[in-house]
Amino acid sequence: MNLNIIAYSIYVLVTGFTIIKVGLICYQNGIIFMTNLIPDDTEFCLKVNNTLLIGYYLLNIGYAILALSGWSTIHTLTQMTEILSSHIAIIICSLAGLHYFNLFWITKFIKNLKQ
Amino acid sequence: MENSKIFIGYLIYLPIAITLTYFVSKTLFKNGKTFMIDIFRNQEDIALATNRLFEVGFYLLNIGWALLILKIDSHHFQNTYQNLIEILSFKVGGFSMYLGAMLFLNLFLFFRGRKKARKKSISEKVPPFHSPQAG
Repeated sequence: MNLNIIAYSIYVLVTGFTIIKVGLICYQNGIIFMTNLIPDDTEFCLKVNNTLLIGYYLLNIGYAILALSGWSTIHTLTQMTEILSSHIAIIICSLAGLHYFNLFWITKFIKNLKQ
Repeated sequence: MENSKIFIGYLIYLPIAITLTYFVSKTLFKNGKTFMIDIFRNQEDIALATNRLFEVGFYLLNIGWALLILKIDSHHFQNTYQNLIEILSFKVGGFSMYLGAMLFLNLFLFFRGRKKARKKSISEKVPPFHSPQAG
């Protein structure tokens, strides 16, 4: 069987699982975090949180699928591990960057949004 | 065949990197809970939520980095087990030093937050172990 197709399926499974899991964890804990920052308006927090989750899914799943197009042909198992790990690493590192960016952005600017 | 040795290297490197990350973050965030509860003045739900958010960020950053530095360059690989051990030791050592730096960075963030919370509670004349909502 074609090694590229195996690599694609592993890639889609791993990145999809990571993106959805991280999104859910951030959604559930983020709402507590945000209601603490704006204690008087829970509905606003919920709306911002929902928008953030949808934006996050669109951006990441979209990028993950887009990145499927430019893979080189895989001949050996070693090459498959290298290519898979580098592609998954790019996704995970960008997730980490977005996550920290969101944390700092929310704590710094959300109070100004309200005013 | 030189590729099989590189593949063995990957099989050794990946579990080591992932278990290292797992144990370091487990230790850090088990103890981080105490800091967070101190920072958020005994409001346990927000403290635990923030702790979890930082934990997710820590995992993503470190596992992402571990995967990013995985590749062993096959052009400079001399196809001996000695060379494989040298390359692996460089990778695992570098990764664990990076993990240590990240650990200290997180600890620094915790200490800074704690100091800020203390200062704030002194300036607002709120006792540090007393929730504002309860009083």
